[in-house]
Amino acid sequence: MKDTRRTRVVLGVLLVVALMLITVDYRGGANSPLRGLRGVGAAVFGPVERVSAAVVRPIGNTLDAVTDAPGERRRADRLERENQRLREQLRSGGMDRTRAAQLDRLLGTAGMGGYKIVAAQVISAGQGFEDTVTLDVGSRSGVKPDMTVMSADGLVGRVTRVGPATATVLLATDVTSSVGSRLEDSREIGIVQGRGRRGFGGGGATPMRFQLLNANAPMRVGQRLVTLGSQGERPYVPGVPIGMVERIDEPVGGLTRTAYIRPFTRFTTLDVVAVVVAPPKADPRDAVLPPKPPSPSPSPSRTPSGTPSGAPEGRPSGRASDRPSDRASGSPSPTTSEAGD
Amino acid sequence: MLNAPETAPAGRKLMAGVVLVVALILQVSVANRLPLPGQITPDLVLLAVVALALVYGSLTGIVAGFAAGLAADIIPPADHTIGRYALVYCLIGYVCGLAAAEMDRQSLVPFLAVAAGALAGTVLYALTGMMLGDPRSSWALVSRMVPLQVLYDVIASPFVVWSVLKVTGRHEHRDRTRNRMAVPTARYRAMSGRGSGL
Repeated sequence: MKDTRRTRVVLGVLLVVALMLITVDYRGGANSPLRGLRGVGAAVFGPVERVSAAVVRPIGNTLDAVTDAPGERRRADRLERENQRLREQLRSGGMDRTRAAQLDRLLGTAGMGGYKIVAAQVISAGQGFEDTVTLDVGSRSGVKPDMTVMSADGLVGRVTRVGPATATVLLATDVTSSVGSRLEDSREIGIVQGRGRRGFGGGGATPMRFQLLNANAPMRVGQRLVTLGSQGERPYVPGVPIGMVERIDEPVGGLTRTAYIRPFTRFTTLDVVAVVVAPPKADPRDAVLPPKPPSPSPSPSRTPSGTPSGAPEGRPSGRASDRPSDRASGSPSPTTSEAGD
Repeated sequence: MLNAPETAPAGRKLMAGVVLVVALILQVSVANRLPLPGQITPDLVLLAVVALALVYGSLTGIVAGFAAGLAADIIPPADHTIGRYALVYCLIGYVCGLAAAEMDRQSLVPFLAVAAGALAGTVLYALTGMMLGDPRSSWALVSRMVPLQVLYDVIASPFVVWSVLKVTGRHEHRDRTRNRMAVPTARYRAMSGRGSGL
């Protein structure tokens, strides 16, 4: 087709429309008038994505199995089992709400990471520079914006937008994500920020950066991080494991110290996750952290830890108190104790 | 959806729409979740726009690019300023449509167009992000992503272009009126045959 006058007119009109959209959406910010458009997108494409995710899931599993056969297979099996269990928990929770509520109250008094969750699957992922995923639960399942999303291993991110049957999650590795967090067994707080594209922005295994607000506070490699909890428990509930300090930048006279964090969650192969629909009644502190790994790095000062550290492998006996929560709407602690390998 | 020129039969609009919707869905639910090295994924939507523009010309390229970009801006996991992809894909559709005229003479045009389109698309998208002060489009991230993105796009392009030609070619065959289009389509088919044999 030739570059006719008509073609140029159409090009000009559409470019102007695009620029107008950008301007309106950019200036509107969080409450831009084009939010409705995103709502339409969620309503139209959400169900399609759910269907296509169900269709392509076996293909994805096969590909995963091929890329990292033994480990992935084991992980897939574990997730499958976990998924099954979560589904059953969800179903029973839905069927008998009053009983679940009673159990939940029971749980609340028992404390210890009693998050109330909705299990979900990742059905699609974002494009370009953003680190976002879509979940197959939405407002119909009680999911609202600014809820914490976690996997069996640790923090995943927070819900930013909710459609009728889908929810968009901003991953903790995204550049625009920052999470208030706390070093284990100390009260030292800081901010965990993403480094973009699941770590590609800053390099492989440490897709997050932790800024310790007190530059003089002790921090060592191998220390773990949990979420501090936001005001009103939104968007982040307290006590969710985030990751482990992998490398510490030498301070150069700044006000903060920076460390690079290896997350517990594998952001590259997210599948089954949970949306925390109700925060715990009491801050679980370090109770949800997985058991200490055997010995990734020699550090003699391991002992003063809130969680029972020794116990070479298998479940630490201290976790027995969390067990009852397994029966109710689902605390992540039993699953994390299983996942830490 | 596609603002149709009279020269295009309804079948073509429908076909282009179907191609774009399929590309979008595959993009978010399959391609973006592939565990590829570097966590960069081929941009199937961009490739589909380029292919449509090469087959049908710049007018279809513009409209298809705009529609696909707008859809990519609002499809659920998207979290950037609405209109960025619409702007970028619209331009890419126009430029690749102009290249379509050259296609009869140069058999290498489709591959050059795909590579150039991939490069221009990624860079333009990053540029719009920088202009809007998007912290995600930092230079460090962009400079590392662009080469891999272009590489993946070029690797994926024979498959996408071939699929688009397969779909649109069948349509062309059915209504038999597109005499003028027969030459590039045949040329394309030969190209894609060679491409998939690599």
